[in-house]
Formats: sequence, structure tokens, C-alpha cells
Amino acid sequence: MTKLNKITALGVVVLILSACGGNNGDPSPGENAKDRKPILTHWADNIIVPSYAAFKGKFDVMVSKGDAFATAPDAASLVAFRAAWVDAYAEWQKVELFEFGPADRYTLRSFFNIYPTDVNGIAANISDPSASLDLPASYTRQGFPALDYLINGVGSDDQAIVAYYTASVEGPKRTAYIKRLTSRMNTLLTNVITEWGTYRDTFISKTGLDVSSSTGLVVNAYVLYFERYIRTGKIGIPSGATVTTAGVPYPEKVEAFYKKDLSLALVKNATLAVQGFFNGKDVVTGTEGPSLASYLDALEAKDAASGTLLSTVIKNQFSEINGKLEPLSPNLTQQVQTNNQAMLDVYAAMQKMVRILKVDMTSAMSVTITYTDNDGD
Amino acid sequence: MSAYFQRMTSAAPLAVFRIALGLLIFGSMVRFWAKGWIHDLYIQPKFFFTFYGFGFVKPLGAYTYVLFALCALCAVMVAFGFLYRMASAGLFLTFTYIELIDKSTYLNHYYFISMICLMMIFLPAHACFSVDAFRNKKLLSGKVPRWCVDSVKLFVCLVYVFAGIAKLNSDWLLQAMPLRIWLPAKNDLPIIGPLFNYTWVAYAFSWLGCVYDLSIAFLLLNRRTRVVGYGAVVIFHLLTAILFPIGMFPYIMIVTALVFFPENVHAKIIGTMAAWIRVPNLVNASGEYKYPVRVTKLLKPAFCIFFLVQAALPFRYVLYPGELFWSEQGYRFSWRVMLMEKAGYAQFTVKDGAGKQVVVDNSEFLTTLQEKMMATQPDMILQYAHMLRDHFAAQGFRSPEVYVDSYVALNGRLGRPLVDAGTNLSNEHESFNDKPWILPPGYEIKGF
Repeated sequence: MTKLNKITALGVVVLILSACGGNNGDPSPGENAKDRKPILTHWADNIIVPSYAAFKGKFDVMVSKGDAFATAPDAASLVAFRAAWVDAYAEWQKVELFEFGPADRYTLRSFFNIYPTDVNGIAANISDPSASLDLPASYTRQGFPALDYLINGVGSDDQAIVAYYTASVEGPKRTAYIKRLTSRMNTLLTNVITEWGTYRDTFISKTGLDVSSSTGLVVNAYVLYFERYIRTGKIGIPSGATVTTAGVPYPEKVEAFYKKDLSLALVKNATLAVQGFFNGKDVVTGTEGPSLASYLDALEAKDAASGTLLSTVIKNQFSEINGKLEPLSPNLTQQVQTNNQAMLDVYAAMQKMVRILKVDMTSAMSVTITYTDNDGD
Repeated sequence: MSAYFQRMTSAAPLAVFRIALGLLIFGSMVRFWAKGWIHDLYIQPKFFFTFYGFGFVKPLGAYTYVLFALCALCAVMVAFGFLYRMASAGLFLTFTYIELIDKSTYLNHYYFISMICLMMIFLPAHACFSVDAFRNKKLLSGKVPRWCVDSVKLFVCLVYVFAGIAKLNSDWLLQAMPLRIWLPAKNDLPIIGPLFNYTWVAYAFSWLGCVYDLSIAFLLLNRRTRVVGYGAVVIFHLLTAILFPIGMFPYIMIVTALVFFPENVHAKIIGTMAAWIRVPNLVNASGEYKYPVRVTKLLKPAFCIFFLVQAALPFRYVLYPGELFWSEQGYRFSWRVMLMEKAGYAQFTVKDGAGKQVVVDNSEFLTTLQEKMMATQPDMILQYAHMLRDHFAAQGFRSPEVYVDSYVALNGRLGRPLVDAGTNLSNEHESFNDKPWILPPGYEIKGF
């Protein structure tokens, strides 16, 4: 439609509506909560940007400890590197959900956290230092999962792991690969963080709900992340809830498989981040601000039968998921092997949440997921 | 009745309508092409949801561009009235073929255009101000049978009235749904945006929209209210163009409604166009367009049957039990437009007797649009289930069973399962019969 048409139509509509003797008073605070700009601003300034900053802090420590280990591989530098890797991996769970805007442009997740890692591929890349790390086939040869293998999986104990890196001919190639991975991650992450500096203003200005609007991008990325990367990736695949062959699950496909005792902590962190984002929790102060929850409340989204607010339904479901995660073993591989039903229960609770987020929340918000014409059927 | 069929009227309104229709369809084709939708909707998908009974309609791959080009060419030829019968038949066939490729792209206004094009094949819209009439003076006529022009008007009236009747339901009138959800999404529009934060505005729009649809046909038919009615048409459709992503539809309806104006208006339009392109307008030619008698014998009953079918189709839903908006049995081809905010989730599990099991990632098989449409429409869920059955059988699953975990929210109510999760869909067959595996929604929407 041409601009002129739009202006004419707007003018006519305004005339009609004012002729209806409309309410000319200021909207009450309840109405303002339907404005999306304050929500986008809060997301950018108090959640997304500071989360990246916090992650970058932990990540930088990991890079420097990794460099120290590469320079002088010994038991002490290995332990220090590993501890920094654990911290950074845990903090990563708080930013992986922001795969829109800059992170989406650089497909950060694909280079940071695709698992299970490809052990043979890593070996091939170590022998060929010029092997591409850009192609999709290389996703499983880099990022945190590759580092997991490289610092936890290449030997049966620390002594053996150190020996792997001090071997006379192969050792330097192996340490070089660690440095190659961390510096590559650093470049990508720095790009994303730098770009948020300029993207922030664009982000808060696109206040619509169409497919290219900021709210649209965020909600679609948020739901996709929860469904595919938390529910399916962290729980569904290892437990066999989403795929089994002859009834056998895949316990070796957990996140941080080689570290063994980290997988549960990572799921918990990721779930908490998703929950915090829903409630608009400021990652610095911990207080709640404008959010998906407050927006749904402003829209009066609720269960027609019981009158329960949709935001409450979602909060309750988060509690249920957290409750089901609580008793699990820190080592999810072990959990699958000893009592897989507890994993399947988590999956079921998450599956319920996927439906609520993907259908009830997006429908109540009228978030568009496609760009084609639609006549509402 | 037979006297009515003898009456003649000016050929100008049909000629203007022909030109406008041709140009608008041409514009739509160009728009579709420019936006890259030919690729996105008709080439990229791996699987297509054909209409029941139209399984022979196959996607054409890269030749889809040829199909669109042909359609655009026919549209231009119709506009110019060049080889009109052939061009209008070609336009109907190509346009309809495109729409039949994939149900996910079904829109009421595409169906509207298909049906209008079908009628146009048989109407003498080329009797004046056309290349054909210019070259063939025997064809050139200032008058055409009145029923020809009236047919177009009648069809437009049916569309509006049915769209209005469809709004007479409790969700639309009593809950202001779905506008109550859709309008706040537009609260960032300049000037009018903040109004959409008020619930009463959603009610006002719902009721005015319903009154508009029910009354506009009569306002346009009546000489004294015609100008006011046309003003309402323009305002209503421009407003929908601002608020909703409905593409060309508003402009098509704005232009189509011109057909209700008397012949002198159309003669003027043709006069202006003729002056622009410097051709004789000949709109007052003395000839009268007459169908050969045997053609009339076929055509009159054919048009009667066409309109009877059109009048009956929107009510076929009463033959199905259950809630129409929920099961959508008898929903399409009924001018039910903008009535539902419906969202769904459908997760399929395929398994076999040997313990193989996989939860399907729909994005491996369907585009975003297809998945969205499939998740809320049972017939598409069944088609997709059969596609999965065949796919996984080829992957080594032995007589795969297909189950769906579905969840659908309608007009602001929280979601509920749409399909019985215990039904093995690979054994269910598509037909016009009621689908017993559709679960009840647990609520009733009263009205039409």
C-alpha cells in the first residue's frame, strides 16, 4: 500500500473513532504495560547485554587458562583450564537463548555448542591445521563440546591427558588446536558483543509483532531454543524420549559427556535462564522488570475456564520442571543408565511447557511466524 | 424469468471489470514473484498438501515460474481483451492450478479470484473496448445481456453476505475475538495505535465489521446509498490493509465493487482510458452481444447450478458433528475470513514393532508456513501423517505407526489436544466423512 493511501486511511479512521466519542483520557498504567518498547529496552539493557558481558568475563578467563595450558601442559594448568572451562560453559547457558539479531547473524550457537562432538573429526582437524571450521560439518569439531573431549576425554586420568599434550610430535599440534578453537570462539563472541552496541537501538525501535519485529524474533528464537536445544538436545535424545533404536536410548549423547558430572548443572542453568527471561529478571540486580509475563498479564491472557493467568500457568510449569530436575544425578549419562524414568518425567514436563509457550503464549501475543499473506484461518 | 434473461444492458461495466481484474492479477503475480514467494511456497517445500480429490495436481519445480509467467500473460491478455476466450480460460486454469498445489497457501480471496475467473470465461467481457472487438466488428457491441453483469454482482453479494453471516457467532460478537488479540498487536501504529489498547475498540470493530459485511451488498445495489456504500468499501478495506497482512485482497474488493455503478460511470472510465492511450472508445457501439441459442441453453442452467452450489457450500458444515472452528470440517470455500486466532502444535511419533521410534522434527519435512497450517487442521495432519508413514517405511521401519501429540488454542482459550493421541493415523483414510479421531474442544461457539 502506498504511503498516501495509508495516511488517508489513517485520517479517515481517526475521524470515525473520534466521532464515536471515544475515551480521550490517558491510558491507565495497565494499558501502558501493553507497550512493547519498554520491554525491548529492558531485555536489551538489563538482560541481554549484561548477560553477554558476564559470559565474556568467564570466557576470557577460560581463554587465558587455555593459553597457559597450551604453553605449558601440566597437571596444574590442566586443572585450572578445566575449572575455567566449567565456569564458562555454565555461563554460556545464560546467553545461548539469545540466538537472534547478532548471534543469529554469526550463528553463534552452531559454533559454540553442538554435541555430541565428533572425535574422529577432531583428530582429523588436529592433523590438518588448515581444515575449515566454517562449514556445517565442522560444527561438531569445535566449541565447548570439542573442548570437553580435549580436556576430559583424551585420557583416562589427568596424567594421561597431560601426556597426550606433551607427546613429542603430536603434542604441539594438539595444543595448537585448543588455541585455535578458543581464539575462534573469542572472535565470534567479540563480533556478537560489538554488534549489540549498534543493534541495540534497532532492536528497541522495531516494536511490531510481525515476523521481522524484535518481539517476533525473540519469541520465535526463545521457543525454538527451549524446544529443540533444551528439551530435545539436553533431555530428549539422551533419554530416548525423542529417538531410540530398538528401544535403546543414547546416554552418551548428553551435554558435557566427557566431564561426566556437569550435564545436570548445565540443564538447570539453561532452564533458569529461560525462566528468568520470561519473568524479565534483571541479571545484575535480580529484580523483575517488563517481560513476557507482564505483557501477557496486560493482555489479560488467561485460562477461560479457571480464570488462572497464563503467566501463572507458565510459572507453575517452570516450577514443575525445576522440581523434576532436582533429584537427578549430576551425571545424566548415569541417570539414563540407572533410572531413565526420571529423565522421561523431565521430558514430559518440558514437553508440556513447549506446547504452552509455542501455542498459548504466541497465540495470545499474536506473534507472527510467517511473512506470507493470511486471512486468519 | 425468461423476460429477465432477454434484457440487455451496457457492455461497459463488464469491460471495466475485465481490465481491472486482468491488471490486478497481473500485479499479484509480479508481487508474488518479486517477493520470492514462488520459490518459497511452490519450489522449496519437499511435500505438498494437495486438496482431497486433486491429488493429480503436482508441483512443477522450476517450471512453476513458467506457470506464473503464463498466468501473468493470460491476465494481461484478459485486460486487453486479446484472444479473450482463450486467455480467460488460460487465466482460470493457471491461477487455479497454482492454488491447488498446496493447501497451506489457501486463502479465501484466491478462491474468490478462481471463481470469478471461471465465470469470466463465459461472460462477454470483451464485447467492447477490447482488442478482439476492435479487430472484429461483428463482436463489437454496446450492449450485453443483463444477467452477465448481474452474475458478477450476485457473486460479490454472496461473498459479503456469507462473510457477514459467519461473523454472527459468540466469539466475534460477545468476546470480540479474535480482534481483541490482533488489535493490541498493532498498538505501535502512529496516531490510531494507542486506541487498540482499549477492549471497547475491539468490540466496536467487530460489530461494525459484521454490520458492514451484512449490509454492504444492499448499500451497493441501491442507487441512493451506492456512493455512501462505496465510501464504506474503500474505508473498510483500506483499514484491513493497514491492520492485517492480507495482501492484494483489499484492492481487489475496492475495484470489484465498481461493478455496481451505473453504465455512465463506466462509459466515462472507458472514455478516459481511451483518451489516454489514443484509441477510439466505441463504447456506444450499436451492436448487441447475443449468445448463440444452443450456448444460452447450456449457459443459463450452468450459471444457476454454479450459484446454487455457491449458496450451499458455506452451509455444508452442518453435515458434520462438532465445533466448526475447531475441526474445520466444511470450513474452507465458505467466506470465513479473519474469524480465528488459531495456533497449534503437532508433534509426531513414528514407531514400529521392532522398537524403532523417532519423534519427528517437522522442520525437516515442512516449511514454517506448512507446519503452522498443518498443526491446526485435521485433514492436513492426516496427510502429513501418511507422508511420514511412507517416508519412514522407506527408511526401514516395518509398517510404521504414526501418532500425534497435538495442542491447539483457539481465540484466546488455552490449548487442548486436537487429535486423539492414541489413534494410529497411518491406518486412517481421508474422505468427506466425519473424522472420529478429532477430539471435542470442550467448549461451544454459538452461532453460524
